[in-house]
Amino acid sequence: MTDATTQPRSVWTTRAGRSGIVLLGLIALAAVTLPSILPDYRAMAFGHLLPPSGAHLFGTDYHGRDLLSRVARGAQISLMISLGAVLVAATIGTAVGLLAGYLGGWVDSVLMRTVDAALAIPRLFVLLLVLAALDRIPLPVLIVMLGATGWFGTSRLVRAEVLRLRHEGFVSAAGGGGAAVWGIIFRHLIPTAAGPLSGAPTRGGADVLLLEAGLSYLGLGVQPPTPSWGGMILDGLPFRSEAPWFCLFPGLAIVITVLAVSLIGDGLRQTLTPDRA
Amino acid sequence: MRRLLTRVGQALLTFAIAVTLAFLLMRLTPGSPLPALDEQNRFTPAQEERLRKLYRLDQPIQVQYWEFLQAAFDGNLGPSIRYTGQTVTGLIAARLPATLLLGFTVLLLNFTFGTWLGVWQAVREGSRLDHGLSLLSISLYAIPSFWLGLTLAWLFGLEWRLLPVGGIHDVVMSPDADLGTRTVDLLRHLILPAVTLSAVSIAATMRHQRSAMIEALRLDCIRTARSKGLSERQVIFHHAWRNALGPMVTLFGLWLPILVTGTVFVESVFNWPGLGLLAAEAIGNRDYPLIMGTTLLSAALVVLGGLIADLLHGMLDPRVQAL
Amino acid sequence: MEALNPITLVTPLRIHMPRSLLPALLAGLSVCGSALAAQQPARIPGTIIIATGSEVATPVPTLYSNDALSRELGDQLFLRLAEPDRTLRTSDEKSFEPRLARSWHHTDPLTLVFELDPRAHWHDGVPVTARDVVFTINRARLPATGEQIARLLRHITSVEADGDHRVIFHFDLDYPEQLYDATYHQPPLPAHLAETIPQADLAKSAFVAHPIGNGPYRWVRRIPEQRAIELAADPAFFLGRPGIGRVIFQASPDIEARANLLLAGDVDAIDNVYQLGNPARMLALEGYQSVPFVSLSVGYILFNTRDPADTSHPHPILQDAEVRRALTEALDRDALAHTGYGPSSVAPPGPISQGLWVFDRKLARFGYDTAAARRRLLAAGWSDHDGDGTLDKDGRPLHLSIILVSSALPRRRIAEQAQEMLRRIGVDLQLLTLERGEYMDRQKAGRYDLEFPSSNQDPTPSGVTQSWSCGGTNSARFCDPVFDSLTQAAIVSRKSAAAWRKALQRIDDDAPAIWTYAPTFVGLVHRRFENVTFRTQSSWLDLWRWRIKSGAELPRDRGDH
Repeated sequence: MTDATTQPRSVWTTRAGRSGIVLLGLIALAAVTLPSILPDYRAMAFGHLLPPSGAHLFGTDYHGRDLLSRVARGAQISLMISLGAVLVAATIGTAVGLLAGYLGGWVDSVLMRTVDAALAIPRLFVLLLVLAALDRIPLPVLIVMLGATGWFGTSRLVRAEVLRLRHEGFVSAAGGGGAAVWGIIFRHLIPTAAGPLSGAPTRGGADVLLLEAGLSYLGLGVQPPTPSWGGMILDGLPFRSEAPWFCLFPGLAIVITVLAVSLIGDGLRQTLTPDRA
Repeated sequence: MRRLLTRVGQALLTFAIAVTLAFLLMRLTPGSPLPALDEQNRFTPAQEERLRKLYRLDQPIQVQYWEFLQAAFDGNLGPSIRYTGQTVTGLIAARLPATLLLGFTVLLLNFTFGTWLGVWQAVREGSRLDHGLSLLSISLYAIPSFWLGLTLAWLFGLEWRLLPVGGIHDVVMSPDADLGTRTVDLLRHLILPAVTLSAVSIAATMRHQRSAMIEALRLDCIRTARSKGLSERQVIFHHAWRNALGPMVTLFGLWLPILVTGTVFVESVFNWPGLGLLAAEAIGNRDYPLIMGTTLLSAALVVLGGLIADLLHGMLDPRVQAL
Repeated sequence: MEALNPITLVTPLRIHMPRSLLPALLAGLSVCGSALAAQQPARIPGTIIIATGSEVATPVPTLYSNDALSRELGDQLFLRLAEPDRTLRTSDEKSFEPRLARSWHHTDPLTLVFELDPRAHWHDGVPVTARDVVFTINRARLPATGEQIARLLRHITSVEADGDHRVIFHFDLDYPEQLYDATYHQPPLPAHLAETIPQADLAKSAFVAHPIGNGPYRWVRRIPEQRAIELAADPAFFLGRPGIGRVIFQASPDIEARANLLLAGDVDAIDNVYQLGNPARMLALEGYQSVPFVSLSVGYILFNTRDPADTSHPHPILQDAEVRRALTEALDRDALAHTGYGPSSVAPPGPISQGLWVFDRKLARFGYDTAAARRRLLAAGWSDHDGDGTLDKDGRPLHLSIILVSSALPRRRIAEQAQEMLRRIGVDLQLLTLERGEYMDRQKAGRYDLEFPSSNQDPTPSGVTQSWSCGGTNSARFCDPVFDSLTQAAIVSRKSAAAWRKALQRIDDDAPAIWTYAPTFVGLVHRRFENVTFRTQSSWLDLWRWRIKSGAELPRDRGDH
């Protein structure tokens, strides 16, 4: 486990990682503190499409709601969605990859053909089909759905890593009895494979944010009055010429967050690629 | 040869599983194609029953699946439910040219500029420009494509009136306009959607090319070439880049599916008559035959892309063949 | 407020032309038309591009059962025997304009005779005859065409041809809308082309792929890669030469893409600016004229009075009519209507659109009154006992959810605003935006508390019975035998206004739904067109009367085709 504990410091040493962490930290801070000091994000209490001013730093939206309150509340939702989805995807992906790589044989074949096949069905189509099936689209469900459709790539990477380690004789020595399998997985495989794999989930986190925005564009993301950045862009788009702030601020929020997450991913990759100083 | 056959067999198996998964997913999620035919909810139960029979929706799922397979083998994907009187193959064929055109243009732009910029970055690794380009490409990737598309349409189409805001052809253009006029018109319509899609997708190509190139530049043969006094240009393009091509080929295969699925939002925003939107609409309408048709095609592209990438990779890198 | 009633604003022309004059006038016009056509064949300049949201599916009578756009395009190709005039007094036979029929009369209360205009012809040159009418009505009543049409034609017992140009309709009931029923629902199809095709195969036939009609415009082609349909004017159209030579219906499903087409000047007309995201901006567009017209659209928030979890039980909250009335009073419905459809739209007094002649806002019983709403809820046992901001009763909070179609932007905005209005009186309304297919599935299965449909009505108040009579098609299965007998009385009554008022008050009192909006549509049309009018029953019905101002042509008007 020593690998894992040293990682944050080493990410911090890269320029990309540092900027990403600072950016994301600021967004998280805003998400936690701002909603309590700003007007209720649901209150349709102000003028319609007011430009940014001292009273409303980001202006107001179509229904006369304070946009900064909504962007801040949206940050909570968006961060929760992408973090949650990444965790779900990483967990499933790692588990499947480990199983396939470690057990090999027909288990491996079945799992990997299925993963290939699942990768061949467009993720957006799957989400569109399945989201309609849900009684409501509560946040946890959206998160699980986004995670459950995003683990295929991770599982392939994990499997490849396990095979490499196996090939290098790292694991085979410990192999043998069935009961020992999980022990090996947890004591050897996960810690060793964790490093090279951490890049994939961060990229996944960025993808999830963009995918949620896309689903919102189709009207199928987070449900009102809960604001999501994607949904807010959608609402603001028709007013992009006379009230550009309406879609600009939520849009910037997405861009900055995705940027931050990608930078952290880059930082991670740099610390873990041996030939990169 | 044996490897080739195994790989092709695997690809076919993957494709078959994908089609089955898609069919199950489609039929096990709720919803029905009939409501889309009946906007005001006026069907009587008897009418519904008749339509259900007509489209074989009254059959058990395994029967439907079997019938679908049989028909699909004959190249017959059946009639669309939403678009009465049109066949799925006809609908797909009508959208295919636009899709291929946009998809290949994007791939071309993506790879030309992506590899070029990636190489350029690798050569200047660690410089301010290298960092700047990385940041720019990630920022582009971070912009939701529909937002970028609408912004470009607003600037180029409405503010500066340089390019059309949507569609694939000027709709009033006569069907027998000469080829030159038609081509220019088509290219003008193509620019904005192609640039939007390339912009949001170029980051991956740049990043891949950059790291492949950095790795290649460190290879022994490059050091040798340098020490032999070859010009930097020759070293980079004749030696290093050739070595960095392998990973790029893999990426190319993985990009193939963008032809169908990467384009839904951009098609929507630019009213581009492609397959992505057709598929998304088919899902919205639960037009089962059409969903299967489009999914079949995109799954085929993904599998084919993977296969091509693998085979090319094998040819370029003899070590793979040993595996 | 009453002075602002948009009906009077938009349709000030309620003058009845003497019946003999109109056909004579039209005949005069068309003589010029056909004479001209004989001299210089088949080319009228001018192009109009019309933006639509969806693609036209099957623009052929007997097939476009519920698709408004197919019907509207079909109306360019296929004429009716007679068309309701702007008053839409469907129960008054004087309020119809001649089309394929130049006159009609009763030989007895159960027999209606039409004299067809001998000049009418199909676009392939064959004259329109009585045989076409008989064929179409009989075809429309086949089970294969659908029970819905058969139900609309149920009072017609038989139709017979008397020579080439006389058609006789026999009815089993003496009622004022005989003419409406005989003419409105099914425009004639060409018997010589369609007779040999069984109804079940019609949709897939070559005839539907390239329909031959008799209207002012003929079918040219479908342009699938552009999602467009092209029509061309028939220079020999017997009621007058159309003013615009070419019509293109251009579909653009994405509302922003559609707005861009208008902003860029790539399309010439749209029939309702409120389907776009930012109507104010569109209305301010230079280069375009805005043309308001009352619509047959009506939107209401429907209460499910059955339990969504088990439809054999009553709904735990909404079975109580007092709660339903309170929710109606809690909403500023005019504000909601304005949010969705602009300042000329209003909250209707019942399930009736502004286009129906019975529309009268004074009928509404429950106005916007949050204090009254609170009182009603309190009396029904709902108050905030636990102090969490949401009302509750016997430990059950006043949580409700409303299902919405994801693609309908005005309704989504209205629902968001209603959600906030209800939150202020302690009702927690959850929005549930769904794809259309899923929405309709739930609607049919009764799995919702509230739903928010929008309906395009037929231009007659008797259409209300289709959704609201026992066994009708509204998903809440509203059934009130008293309301049914009142509407039935209104349908046969010669003094139907009072009878309709009674029926509408009856349904409003029960509050089966919150009647939310009855929009006035605003069409947007390029300024080079003049004589621009929209028709309530079918937006583009008068298109053939539009003209291009001379000297104002654009390059696309001159382009060859």
